[in-house]
Amino acid sequence: MSGDVVRQRHSLAGWWVPLAWLALLLALSLGMGLLEGPLRVIEPDSRDVLYVRASFLALLGQHVMVVGLASLLAVLLGVGGAVAVTRPAGRDFLPLVTQLASIGQTFPPVAVLALAVPALGFGTLPIVVALLLYGLLPIVRNTLAGIQGIDPGVHEAARGMGMTPGQILRQVELPLAAPVILAGVRTSVTINVATAAIGATVGASNLGDPIISGIVNGNTAYVLQGALLIGLLAITVDSAFERLQRRVVRQG
Amino acid sequence: MQQARSKPNAVLLVLMLVGVVAWLTLPAISVAPNRIVPGTPQRAQEALGWGVALLATVPMLGVATLAWRPFTWHLRAALVLVVGLLAAMPLWLSGVAATLEAASRLGLGSALWLLLFLWLLALIELRARLALSRPLGWALLLPVLLAWWVCLMQWLAPLALYREYQVRSDQFVGAIGQHLALVGSAVGAALLLGVCLALAMRRRAGVRRVGFGILNFLQTIPSIALFGLLLAPLAWLASRVEWLAALGVSGIGWAPAWLALLGYSLLPMVRNTFVALEEVDPAVIEAARGMGMSQRQVFLQVRLPLALPVVLEGIRITTVQAIGLTAVAALIGAGGLGTFIFQGLGQAAMDLVLLGALPIIALALMVDALLSALADWLRQGGTT
Amino acid sequence: MIELFDVTKRFGEEVAVDAISLRVQKGELCVLVGTSGCGKSTTLRMINRLIEHSDGEIHLDGQPVRTFDEVTLRRRIGYVIQNTGLFPHWTVARNIGLVPRLLKWPRAQVRERVETLMALLGLPIEEFAAKYPHQLSGGQAQRVGVARALAADPEILLMDEPFGALDPITREALQHELLDLQARLHKTIVFVTHDMDEALALADRLVVMRQGRIVQQGPPLELLHEPVDDFVASMLGGDARGLKEAALTRVRDRMLPLGPRLLAHERVAVDVPLNQALSLMLWHRVDRLTVVDDDDIPIGELSLRRLVGSKA
Repeated sequence: MSGDVVRQRHSLAGWWVPLAWLALLLALSLGMGLLEGPLRVIEPDSRDVLYVRASFLALLGQHVMVVGLASLLAVLLGVGGAVAVTRPAGRDFLPLVTQLASIGQTFPPVAVLALAVPALGFGTLPIVVALLLYGLLPIVRNTLAGIQGIDPGVHEAARGMGMTPGQILRQVELPLAAPVILAGVRTSVTINVATAAIGATVGASNLGDPIISGIVNGNTAYVLQGALLIGLLAITVDSAFERLQRRVVRQG
Repeated sequence: MQQARSKPNAVLLVLMLVGVVAWLTLPAISVAPNRIVPGTPQRAQEALGWGVALLATVPMLGVATLAWRPFTWHLRAALVLVVGLLAAMPLWLSGVAATLEAASRLGLGSALWLLLFLWLLALIELRARLALSRPLGWALLLPVLLAWWVCLMQWLAPLALYREYQVRSDQFVGAIGQHLALVGSAVGAALLLGVCLALAMRRRAGVRRVGFGILNFLQTIPSIALFGLLLAPLAWLASRVEWLAALGVSGIGWAPAWLALLGYSLLPMVRNTFVALEEVDPAVIEAARGMGMSQRQVFLQVRLPLALPVVLEGIRITTVQAIGLTAVAALIGAGGLGTFIFQGLGQAAMDLVLLGALPIIALALMVDALLSALADWLRQGGTT
Repeated sequence: MIELFDVTKRFGEEVAVDAISLRVQKGELCVLVGTSGCGKSTTLRMINRLIEHSDGEIHLDGQPVRTFDEVTLRRRIGYVIQNTGLFPHWTVARNIGLVPRLLKWPRAQVRERVETLMALLGLPIEEFAAKYPHQLSGGQAQRVGVARALAADPEILLMDEPFGALDPITREALQHELLDLQARLHKTIVFVTHDMDEALALADRLVVMRQGRIVQQGPPLELLHEPVDDFVASMLGGDARGLKEAALTRVRDRMLPLGPRLLAHERVAVDVPLNQALSLMLWHRVDRLTVVDDDDIPIGELSLRRLVGSKA
């Protein structure tokens, strides 16, 4: 019982790393104008060195929205699916789903994105679907690995003590698999942040926009602005997940 | 065991029933008079009539029936049926193609894509249930590929994807070459550099910490951003250093792509090599030393051969990843199959997108299969 | 009371347990013993319905187990397994309190019960309550496992090779603790092991199983004296059976009151098993020992003739 008290004491300390990246990301998306001088050095020949077609904050918001939505759905479907195929009723599908999750990861994310377009058309929808599909794989794989990696004795004891299947899932399987699941979510989100940027080529507006338009117009300054912000976003998300993982592992 | 076996195989049942429904309800093909006009979707029964459409459901229902009592010989029969279905699809398409006018373009509809997917899943499921070996699994695809090839050569000229290919057959071969060259050279360099780095990391903890720190950091940066970030410094370098420019280095093109690929490839390569060398059973090393082998002999004759399968695993992961990343590199003018994807997306020509995306997936799958097989072979003691 | 009537378990074609009948009285410690794969674990797990039996009936206090809800049934039966099955993400205290919490006891009562059990099993609360399973030694973890099984004060305790993974010294200590506990708590215990010494040391009733059938059952001494066949005889130690029996008998049961003769020089404690007394005689090359009580005061003597139970 006193263990619970000890656990409560882990404070916010350590979260400053992701928060610092986040602050830098927000500062840069609001105050990119301050960088005009250095950018002009890189691209002396162009008239405009600041990407002004949309505000960076709006692009960032779009990016986070699309990735967030796809990732949320991927977590729900991925964890739900993996849980379903490890129950007695769905166990028939376990070998197929396991194989599919490992084969699917061989597919390059760009190719998945490219295939979603003919099926769903241009815009945000195909990106969300492609990110969702691709993001599912690491989550499914890790959830399966996490649940299957639990000591059979623990499972046996839980049943033997008279826990219901629901209680075993919620109190034993999911908490024990949590670190592995979280690692899968981290992989999934990291890939999605990157792949969403490529989505700018199929008509979604997000942080990939300045890069694509910079490449098309030969304006390196645009490219740099987009690249900086995406890089920062990726690092912010990744460091936040690292923090989260440490917390979960410490509890286990 | 007999009791367990006679329970219906729910997977095959579901796959086949979904297949039948998709086949009869979703558009199987789309026909367009030329490249510009979007195609008209047609369902299977609209293309070649109800008779043929219903005939095609027979094997699927057959597989479902066999799956009801999945004895071994039932599953074998189902396997034959599924391979037959996969091989019959190009024949059916050929039949459709024969009814079309010369200039029209035939596209695959959602029903056919879905069926391909479902049947391949059924194949995977059957392979697993019958415990067929990996080579045998691939061999099953041979008749299917043969059927597609023969049909493409003979009757499937109107297939839009094939048309796109014919227009650019030279470009296509060149793009595959570029793609492979970029992947090969970057992964090769990453292998050399990665092994050296891993060896250095084994010597010094400091190098290990800093090295993994940097590589992990690099891996989180999205590829498109890294390509972009490399543009400026490389352009600057090329404008200052003449011999670099003479080599073809510039802000866009192969140079930033290659550098970024190298950067991304290093992490999986170094990590696997390092782990492989570290995790050789200490008892084996101890025994080797106890027998009087020198440090050098221990490394070359014991540690390295034992680590090889895991190193190979690293090469596999790296190569598959690099094949995908190279596709993105097309955005900065590095060439390769990604060019078709982005051209296609730009022109809203979906068959062109497919012409890029499908070979990329095929390449990734092939490399994955080959290197996995090689690793398996090494693990079984195929060294020497 | 647990009763099995012609209970059979088939896995597909294979018969794991073949029409066995068994009655375990209330307060009895019944040990199922046999080589691996003889069906003893399967039998145990059919009692709390972790495995459903194919044929026959299993009754708990006269009521078929099939009529219980399986979850309710299991909460009424304590269960201890070899690798403890402690939940690695929970503290010792939380692990022990599992079943009471499942039964929705009030928090205070759960805490009180956990403290009682930790005291009962020699786990100081300050030291162990907040520890996680990976911080425990094998013996400590198994004590926690037993405490968890006893938490809701079940009538029945099922133990599946609970001490199988422990070193011999710890194992013996825990066997003694179990006997002490049993002397106080009077649970109905079914205990599975493949270790005959453990079985002999613990059992009120010994059940020898082979290939899914019960070959012989009864009090340990009865089996030692009258094994039904060579299999049981060899399971019980073959020609070493005499020593096994000696290990089950105390000096107290064979000693004679002090006689007129001189005290023998070598001494033996009164509650030591006979095999140790015999060992002392062999070691000192004597045929007589002086029996002493806890305070080392002579209270009797033991001769070799008495020790071997010679009628003359």
